[in-house]
Amino acid sequence: MSKKPQLVRSKLPFSGRIVMFFIRHIQHAMASMGELWRNPVSSLMTMAVLGVSLSLPAALQVLVKNAEAITQSWNSAAEISLFIDDARSEKTIQSLISRVKVYSEVSEVHYINRDQALEEFQRLSGFGEAISYLETNPLPAVVTVTPTLKYSSPTGARELLKKLEQEPEVSFGRLDIEWLERLQAVVRLLERTVLAIAALLVLAVVLVIGNTIRLAIMNRRTEIEVMKLVGATEAFIQRPFLYTGIWYGVIGGILAWIIINILVLYLDSALAELLGLYGSQLQMETLTLVELGQLVCLASFLGWLGSYLSVRQHLRAIEPS
Amino acid sequence: MIQFEQVSKVYPGGQKALSDVNFHLKRGEMAFLTGHSGAGKSTLLKLITVIERANAGRVLINGHNIADLSPKDVPYLRRDIGMIFQNHHLLMEKSVFDNVALPLVIEGFSHGEIKKRVHAALDMVGLYGKERHSPVMLSGGEQQRVGIARAIVNKPPLLLADEPTGNLDPKLSMDILRLFETFNDSGTTVLIATHDLGLIARMKYRTLTLKQGHVLGGDELPSSSTNAFNV
Repeated sequence: MSKKPQLVRSKLPFSGRIVMFFIRHIQHAMASMGELWRNPVSSLMTMAVLGVSLSLPAALQVLVKNAEAITQSWNSAAEISLFIDDARSEKTIQSLISRVKVYSEVSEVHYINRDQALEEFQRLSGFGEAISYLETNPLPAVVTVTPTLKYSSPTGARELLKKLEQEPEVSFGRLDIEWLERLQAVVRLLERTVLAIAALLVLAVVLVIGNTIRLAIMNRRTEIEVMKLVGATEAFIQRPFLYTGIWYGVIGGILAWIIINILVLYLDSALAELLGLYGSQLQMETLTLVELGQLVCLASFLGWLGSYLSVRQHLRAIEPS
Repeated sequence: MIQFEQVSKVYPGGQKALSDVNFHLKRGEMAFLTGHSGAGKSTLLKLITVIERANAGRVLINGHNIADLSPKDVPYLRRDIGMIFQNHHLLMEKSVFDNVALPLVIEGFSHGEIKKRVHAALDMVGLYGKERHSPVMLSGGEQQRVGIARAIVNKPPLLLADEPTGNLDPKLSMDILRLFETFNDSGTTVLIATHDLGLIARMKYRTLTLKQGHVLGGDELPSSSTNAFNV
């Protein structure tokens, strides 16, 4: 016997195999869903655990998003004010402005002459009456410079400020940057915290699904044995469990999204009140539909992963005897 | 179809189940495998179905050397073997139809094809019309026949039966053996493990007798002799 006979992998023609591959997948997916439907209480318990676990990182994501929106609206804080030497004539100031305008780091230049500055001060400070008694205008002319996005970070803006202060017409410049730095540090800390907590909860989701699938495998032990005896491949046996994991993920993800929306709704009025006291008109942002899609995709991947790890470990262990 | 060459099997505990077993069951042959409890009948069947692997010697099934098979190949080999168990191994929460259809579903047949073949198999074992029943509602003999229908539904070239008549009265046992004969007539190789000596005596087939791990009657004798029991 020189030629080794090959085992017949499939008795179906190639095209038939392709079609049946997809039909089987759909059937397994539907059957897994049906299986979950038949035990609604335990399925829902698991899904609720997943929903709550996923909603926490998603809530933190919403928090970061809103914090970013707020800091963005305060981006003008990275505006540089250049106070012009009083002795300079209008003409030299104009030449300064045209010079600064061509800086590659600068996106916008705004000039407030001494009269305008006084007017603005009168309007905003509430000292309008008192100021009108002054004989001379004590305010200097101001050129406000808005850096480009690249230079609006604290370090970038500081660099630009140094450069602008070299201009002879500028007596001094100011950049109110300290609080911006602090805010950015807080946001960074927040982002990192979110990442760490999200990683832990993602792990929890994988473990919960893994354990649930383990129990499902144990419950169907005899069935798995019989399937192995009549020639089922590992891939065939594990497929319904993998789909079960994916369904858990999908529904857990949708639950998390619902929880987030309820949470935002609940917080929104309280936040609006708080922001209203600060005269801000910011609206609380929630998760968009795209983010719902991302959440569900991530959750279903986690479901698949947890299930896959469990299946790898426990299906192998079941052998007919 | 089944070829054992100096096959030995020792279980991890040191228990010697088979030693130096030689026999050859040809394609299209029908034979009985007999012996006392603990003589190694189950072990021999497990070696054929690759539930266990031999420690020494060669096992060839349908031309495939078991030692060369990777775990990935095992399912495909098992698809060529119809197995019938004493305790049926039916899925009690599924219908008769689903039980019989299982091997076809695994092989990826279309729904129409599955329906046709399952009906044909159930017709052959005399259970036509009971597709929707649950196995729980059936008698022991009927359950056994569901198991047989499942074993033959994908027309495997080899049929193995482990004590298929263990819990049945003589008349039912005879019916089931007649069923095996019809499969054998259509070309299927059949190996039946049983300790029901009376049953064997009534049929003129080759008998392999296991005794303390050795096979007697392994040589290819014409099947007429029944003196194997006297050894």
